[in-house]
Amino acid sequence: MKRPAVLVSLWAVVAALWTVATVLRPVGAAAQTPPDLSGVWAPYRAGRGADPKLNPPPPTPIVLKPQYAKPYEARRAAEDEATKRGEPLGTAAVQCVPYGFPRMMAVALYPAEIIQRPSQITIVTEAFSEVRRVYMNQPQLPIDEVPPGYYGHSVGKWDGETLVIDTVGIKESVLGYQNTPHSGQMRITERIRLVTPDMLHDQITVEDPLVLEKPFTYTLAYRRMPGYKMVEFVCENNREYLDEKGAVKMKLREK
Amino acid sequence: MKPRVYLGAVVCAVLMAAPRAFAHHSFAMFDTAKRVTMSGTVTAFEWTNPHAYIEIDIPDEKGVVKHWSVELGSTSILMQAGWKFNDIKVGDKITVVLSPLRSGEAGGLLAQVTLRDGRVLGNGPGRVGGQP
Repeated sequence: MKRPAVLVSLWAVVAALWTVATVLRPVGAAAQTPPDLSGVWAPYRAGRGADPKLNPPPPTPIVLKPQYAKPYEARRAAEDEATKRGEPLGTAAVQCVPYGFPRMMAVALYPAEIIQRPSQITIVTEAFSEVRRVYMNQPQLPIDEVPPGYYGHSVGKWDGETLVIDTVGIKESVLGYQNTPHSGQMRITERIRLVTPDMLHDQITVEDPLVLEKPFTYTLAYRRMPGYKMVEFVCENNREYLDEKGAVKMKLREK
Repeated sequence: MKPRVYLGAVVCAVLMAAPRAFAHHSFAMFDTAKRVTMSGTVTAFEWTNPHAYIEIDIPDEKGVVKHWSVELGSTSILMQAGWKFNDIKVGDKITVVLSPLRSGEAGGLLAQVTLRDGRVLGNGPGRVGGQP
């Protein structure tokens, strides 16, 4: 049976459109669609069995201005001495106060979940159930408009396939990497990218014109945890307390 | 059953690594160079954060019962090490290996437990994220 000419023409048009769409889509997709970082990521540390090619680069030195370096070194020395004595000094975490940003991004083996939407990227870390919200494609607020807090105000944008996050407004009492102090002028820039489909690097640069002689950079690595369900973490049974010397002690039960 | 108490001075690699796995506090209050093995009866198992705890009555050589509080990792770290929330029940007879408090009080950090069904579980570090 002979098909009507109009039907044949319609098929030809559909086939042509499909071909054009198929040919053009990968080019357009690569140029416009950022990688999807959604999922759960576990801290990945160099060491036994690790692939050296995937290890993050070593951190750059932390150089504090002299007036901050002295108390920082003194505190570190006191901590080391107390730990040797078996009476470790307390930290905020001992009292179940969350770490805040940026320390929350690397708490032991606890994973982090990334939830990616075009307008907002949300990062939830398992220890203490901490949450960061990164507002995409918005200008950063002036620092004096951000109430100092544990997570500050974060804005993000894509630089090719790298997610660039700018954060300001971290409270001075929220200590940074290696417990470094900081001022209200601190600014943290992260460059997050997939180094393989299942390996993520977060390069973190800390600038603080009042406290640091120069910015320092460290990089955290994460490995994808397919299918992992984040575990809740409510600090309901904290038996640690600080004694009169500030040392960590454990409450005991009689029965 | 007579309690089996062994004091060891061998530094255990798992225990040395354990503080990095939990991170809630330093573990220097526990003598992690020591391992004590004791058997007793569970009075409570608390599947909580920032740590889980085993409360256990342990009889000494003369049969005098002393109560011990044993600290574990957080629930997340324990699950990554193969634990379930109901692996221990009140009344279970179990054997714990722990690092005691330096203060000499009846508390310690778990290194390993042998459950009522003979299964042996550690106290993390977990298996995620490559190498602890």
